[in-house]
Amino acid sequence: MTHPPPALTLTGLTKRFGTLTAVDRVSIDIREGEFFTIVGPSGSGKSSLVRLLAGLETPTEGSLLLRGRDITLTPANRRPTAMVFQSLALFDHRSVGQNIEFAMKMKGVKPGLRRDRAMDLLRLVRLPEDYYDRSVTQCSGGERQRVALARALGSDPEILFFDEPLSAIDYRLRKTLEVELKELHQRTGKTFVYITHSLEEAMVMSDRIAIMRAGQFVQIGTPDEIYRRPVNRFVAGFMGEVNILAVSQTDGAPMFADLGLPAHGAQGAYAVLRPESLSPGNGRAVSFDAEVTLKLMLGSRTQYHMRAVGKSLIAEVGAATHTDLSIGQNARFSFDPADIAWVDG
Amino acid sequence: MGRRVMRRNPGLWYAMPLILFMLMCFVAPLFIVGWYSLMPARTFDLTADVGLHNYRAAFTDGYGRPLMWSLIGAALTTVITALLAWPTAKILHHHSGRWASLVVALIALPVFISESVRLFGLSVFLMPGGGILAGTLNAVFDVQIGSFLNTRLAALVGMIYIHFPFMLFPLLLGVAMIPTDRVEAARDLGAGRWAVLREVELPLAAPGLLIGGLLTFVLCLGANAEAAILGGRAVTVITAAIEQRFNYAQDWPMGAALTVLVIAATAVLVFPALRRIDLNRIIQR
Repeated sequence: MTHPPPALTLTGLTKRFGTLTAVDRVSIDIREGEFFTIVGPSGSGKSSLVRLLAGLETPTEGSLLLRGRDITLTPANRRPTAMVFQSLALFDHRSVGQNIEFAMKMKGVKPGLRRDRAMDLLRLVRLPEDYYDRSVTQCSGGERQRVALARALGSDPEILFFDEPLSAIDYRLRKTLEVELKELHQRTGKTFVYITHSLEEAMVMSDRIAIMRAGQFVQIGTPDEIYRRPVNRFVAGFMGEVNILAVSQTDGAPMFADLGLPAHGAQGAYAVLRPESLSPGNGRAVSFDAEVTLKLMLGSRTQYHMRAVGKSLIAEVGAATHTDLSIGQNARFSFDPADIAWVDG
Repeated sequence: MGRRVMRRNPGLWYAMPLILFMLMCFVAPLFIVGWYSLMPARTFDLTADVGLHNYRAAFTDGYGRPLMWSLIGAALTTVITALLAWPTAKILHHHSGRWASLVVALIALPVFISESVRLFGLSVFLMPGGGILAGTLNAVFDVQIGSFLNTRLAALVGMIYIHFPFMLFPLLLGVAMIPTDRVEAARDLGAGRWAVLREVELPLAAPGLLIGGLLTFVLCLGANAEAAILGGRAVTVITAAIEQRFNYAQDWPMGAALTVLVIAATAVLVFPALRRIDLNRIIQR
């Protein structure tokens, strides 16, 4: 069985601004129809990377193939790709309809046909049809997102890029739009390349995630792989609250240095333990005493912050589990070594 | 009593000095000019019979030509300075820094020097034979050229030279109103260079372009020195005709009528254009 060529093939893609290397020899195949998300902190080079992919910057080195065709030096206006910008970059001096039809107008599509297609796109992004003649400036934040999305889709792109479009949106609307984007991805079947600084956002939507740091991919994998098997502390820490226990070798035997407990079967220099893998009580294989320093009710879960020996740790239990510890109380906590992700760096 | 009025409407009172100044120095002269234009020809009397004969004469006595030259000169200058200032503004906007500041200063500083002085300088530069341009080419490169001094072209060149800053600076503001991401979005959606200019850059920079255009056009319509110093006798502009009516011909009513016509032509162009500009938006950006 022969595979179709990847939607995008990046080979040693590099972008330098003076002495700064924003994107450092990135190589990867982005598969046809996949929702691929690049996650990284600010300054990791993720925006520069997507600008290279969209053709808004030219790489210093390396090559870029679109379905096997070299587009490394093809300018943005001649690439069959479209981008949803972080600022959205809507044309405020034009109506919603004119924004959506922009790419079609550039291609010389007849006005009547453009209008029909714009109406389809308005429906697709769940905006009322009478928004067609409305000014972009009259739209709310969420509506502007949808217009930007419809405008990008208006060029019927082979690949859609997203440069942190949801970062400036409030939490609830963001959650709604995340789900809608995921649905849209399934309905259109197009390849989506999404940039974000939020791994949580990436988890919800992506087929695969690449974690980026200092211009390079640190780890590429499915959301589940990233979550369960982070390759280092940086990736593990990206998901938010996580316990990281250093492993030391005492007389040839591995120990959790912070807890003073033996670390049987340690497979790395650090143990990554999710808060939900640490629970009050004696129920799991490795247990220790700790003082509860903070108790947070998170609705569906309850979070305990504790100090064990010299180390601050976080445990999370489902709200249904009735463990009622109070602040200042000494309690026993335990975890199962099988839940640990071992990392070296 | 007075204090109460002042408290109720302080804006009007604070504006009073300016209102009085405008009434005395702007509205009153305009009114006098308007009134004079209705007087019989060659009179200094303000109490004679009112009539429109000066306006009739303006269209029959050959004043149409100078007015046309002024309008054509102003339009051409506006278009050409816009074409020159657009790329200049784009370059200056993208390369801000010491170098750009220097260029801006070099363009701005001459504005503070008397217009006639600069025009005479240009005239010396363009003079045939011994002029700076012709003389240098002859002495250094052994190239002999003629001169276009005292032609309509020379007058136009002078107009462009003098009025370029008035187009450039508003246009710099206009160009600064184009966000980079809009241009990138347009390119990403398939727009080539011209499409970006037409669809994004010009509409977004339009307020600056419009203000620059108005400034240049109105100033050119009232310009006189360029035609006099560089144009020689090749062209008579309407302001020269007006000056001549007032000075040598001692025909104030005719000069006043021509003035009113120029003001009317300016108003017809300026008011519709001004309605399209949102000055607040430019200042806030």
